Amino acid sequence: MKKIVSLVLSVLMVATLLVGCGNKTETWTVTCPWAPSGVAAMVSQKAASLSTEYSKDIILVADAIKGDAATVNTWVASTKASDPELVFAGEGLFSITSILDPAKLQFTYDDFTYVENLYSSIFVMSADTKLGIDSIDSLKAYLEAGNEVSIATNGATGSEAFLAASLIGAMGYGDQLKLVAYSSAAEAAQAVSRGETNLAVSHQSQILETYQQGGVTMVCAFDAEDIADGPFAGVEGVGKHGYPFFRNRCFIMARSGADANKVAALKALYGEILADAEVADWLSNTMLLEVDTMTEEQVLEHIENVKNIVNEYYDLVAN
Amino acid sequence: MLEYIGPALQQLFTIENFLWMNVGVFIGSIFAAIPGLSVILCIILFLPFTYKMTAIPGMMFLLGIYCAGGYGGSVSAILINTPGTPHAATTMLDGHPLSQKGRTKTALRAALYASTFGGIFSALALLFLAPQVAKIAAQLGTAEYFLVCLFGLTIIAGISGKSLIKGIISAALGLLISCVGADPLTGYDRFTFGNVRLYMGLDLAICLIGLFALVEILGKAEGKVGPLKLDTSKIKTEDKITKEEGKRMILPAIVSSIIGVIIGIIPGTGASMASWFSYDRAKAMSKHKEEFGHGSIEGIAAAESANNAVTGATLIPLLTLGIPGDGCVAIMLSALMINGLNPGLSLFTTQGDIMYAIMIGLIFVNLFMFLQGRYLTDLFAKIVSVPQEILTPIIVMFCFAGAFSVNKSYFDVVVILVFAAIAWIMKKLDMPTVPILLGLVLGNMTETNFRRALLLTDGSFSIFVSSWYCIAFLVLIIGAVSMIVINKMKEGKKGEAN
Amino acid sequence: MKDFIKNMEEKLDSMGAKLAKKEIKIPTDLAAAIVFFILGIVLMLLVPSQVTVGKDEVVSGAAFPTYLCYIMIGGSVLVAAQNILKMVRKEPVETKTINALVEIKALIIFGILVVFWLICNLTELFVLGALWCAVAFLLFFRCKKKSYYIITVAFAVGIWAAFRFILNVNF
Repeated sequence: MKKIVSLVLSVLMVATLLVGCGNKTETWTVTCPWAPSGVAAMVSQKAASLSTEYSKDIILVADAIKGDAATVNTWVASTKASDPELVFAGEGLFSITSILDPAKLQFTYDDFTYVENLYSSIFVMSADTKLGIDSIDSLKAYLEAGNEVSIATNGATGSEAFLAASLIGAMGYGDQLKLVAYSSAAEAAQAVSRGETNLAVSHQSQILETYQQGGVTMVCAFDAEDIADGPFAGVEGVGKHGYPFFRNRCFIMARSGADANKVAALKALYGEILADAEVADWLSNTMLLEVDTMTEEQVLEHIENVKNIVNEYYDLVAN
Repeated sequence: MLEYIGPALQQLFTIENFLWMNVGVFIGSIFAAIPGLSVILCIILFLPFTYKMTAIPGMMFLLGIYCAGGYGGSVSAILINTPGTPHAATTMLDGHPLSQKGRTKTALRAALYASTFGGIFSALALLFLAPQVAKIAAQLGTAEYFLVCLFGLTIIAGISGKSLIKGIISAALGLLISCVGADPLTGYDRFTFGNVRLYMGLDLAICLIGLFALVEILGKAEGKVGPLKLDTSKIKTEDKITKEEGKRMILPAIVSSIIGVIIGIIPGTGASMASWFSYDRAKAMSKHKEEFGHGSIEGIAAAESANNAVTGATLIPLLTLGIPGDGCVAIMLSALMINGLNPGLSLFTTQGDIMYAIMIGLIFVNLFMFLQGRYLTDLFAKIVSVPQEILTPIIVMFCFAGAFSVNKSYFDVVVILVFAAIAWIMKKLDMPTVPILLGLVLGNMTETNFRRALLLTDGSFSIFVSSWYCIAFLVLIIGAVSMIVINKMKEGKKGEAN
Repeated sequence: MKDFIKNMEEKLDSMGAKLAKKEIKIPTDLAAAIVFFILGIVLMLLVPSQVTVGKDEVVSGAAFPTYLCYIMIGGSVLVAAQNILKMVRKEPVETKTINALVEIKALIIFGILVVFWLICNLTELFVLGALWCAVAFLLFFRCKKKSYYIITVAFAVGIWAAFRFILNVNF
């Protein structure tokens, strides 16, 4: 018995020492504060799986802790500038929560160092097929006739809710809008296809199946121009009609004060991963996203744009 | 269905999946065999491990624990006349007497064969019935879902213990706890007391560790600790199930498996009810009624096949409607959702390959349960003898490590301590804690669908009778409530008569 | 050392014996009704300050918790009424014996758990807390077998190592 116990302890200690011994490769944990099934977590996982192919010095490990602001609060509080830790943050935190519920955020943009933005996603609006709404003009005509519109969104105060409010509000029919929050994008898509709501706003990938089965018609895309390719090619962009829009982006951030050389190495690594043909193909064909590397100036501009929209249509979303 | 089988088999047949199945079956057998430890506790303790896995290995691991729990409880029931799990009490009625006749191995083998048969029967029922139920589920809207939740809440009657009203009060507490965090329809905070950690609400797994696992540790204050004295030499006897006995097991095993599946589909009923009901049926049908209670092989076959036939069936309402069939699968809901598998709706289409892999995997879980039961039963019996002095701190360490690892925060450890204290007080007041679990699971879904339904109709309750599904669910609810009232009245009369 | 331990154990035994005699019988249903009645009232009073309500909500976020408080209060009143009626009729009511020794022991276990949390939280080293847990529980059970201490301590290190290095939980 004693021999067995001694053996177990020795093995444990040796294993601990071996793991503790440093080597040159640095493992960076990339925390995604949203559901592991979400778009950001999946992209992070994909990037992490390729990190060893493109770098001998950096290993990326994707982690998803659903908690939104709470997860990022914890991350900021427990992460030092020297820690090999990265976190995702998007316009939801910097532009929406910061205005709607600033008490929830125990951080500001200054607590981070920007590394890279991996992708951008164009939100789309779909409609119940029975209504015959398949363009911005037909939506406008429907509203002009005095009809109220219920719009299914994923979450009560997320990007989708603000995009829906900004479009209907900018058309001048804010008082005819009823936002109906669902707990997932899949539920919101089902709701519009069943006719429970008139419209829904979602990522393209989340409505694709319902659209292909003829459950919904497409109304518009929240972008400057029409969607150029893919299954939603031709869906018109609201920007063309002068309505507000923004794309969904999720920035990878390090803690402020992080070593500039390491940040540059990480940015370069992400750049290489995103340039990989397989990744680009997966992002555009499977996830219906666009590779979208950005400079910090562009990021700040994006945050400011969304903030303006949130401030303008605040009353329509948060009654 | 067929289009998913190929990709599902591809996803299922990995070394990782089969390894986790076996680890789950092994751990589940041990936990179920040790009286005082439960399958639900085991699933709670090991749930955080699955957060790091993908959906299929995670579910295979938990299903391994869950299914083995169905069989494991019979080991101590047969050997020491103490059921390792509540549903094994029925097995004990005939298992232990048979063991006392010097036929321990026969009793254990009968339990194992019946468990495996029931388990595979149930897995096949899941495979063929779940997709059909899912098709109906896809047509359900917000109003229908609210009524499904309401129907789910009638489970309280089955899990309240002596007092239905106390069960309702406990469920109300669980539902109130589910309100903590951001309001799902408006995003405003509720009951957060300004604490940032509470904005996302309380994690189900965290609450359960406190309510069910840590409270068991506090319970050590009540009892004496000591190893269980098991005579493992009993297992090494040379007795066998005879051909005649084998034939006699077939009919009760088939009938009990059917009963187990039907009872399993109805949320809130559970394995114990299936075992007792099947045992009663088997006795009524048997040509050897006099043997029941004195070591009847048919009794063992009926009880064990029924309680294992529940395992797959309880997953049907879980996967298709999000309504857990019992406490164990309620916890599995976390493992599914952490992997983005939201029950109901499009689960069987968009994630069809994963779903079918899990359902087919359940058949293999039962096969491995059979193999481990066949060759490792004496090992399980030896592990059952682990001293409580060693087991107790180990369980605490798992509780703390598990709670921390969910959100990587020691705040969650405080939460489990608070819930342990609540559960302890409730234990002292004879308040059932399982309805809290039900409230926690169904709370958000019930409230969100109720409010959303009224939002869609500007406050008109007519939405709750707007479809045939709504009317069907209303009839089911009225039927269930009537049954509960009639049963309670009967119980009251019986009480008065006694 | 052995004498010291023996003395300690004797003292504890005599204290335990005295505490074990201290018992009170409580009518569980009535006690539960009072506790949950008070809890229901407190929670209902907290709703206005803890739940923000929007202007035009069809069913506000406060409605559901308020209904639940009503159910809790109503249920408690029913249980209490049933119990009082039984008492008046001199019918037997559900009771439970609360033993001082059991409750003190439970408090000690709870104390061990709180210290476990404190050690982990302050040092950010789970393994230290786990070692405390292993030793504290064995002492609580008055375990004298060295092998048990070695096995439990090995498990403490093993569990930490499994979470730390296999599951990558940094604690």
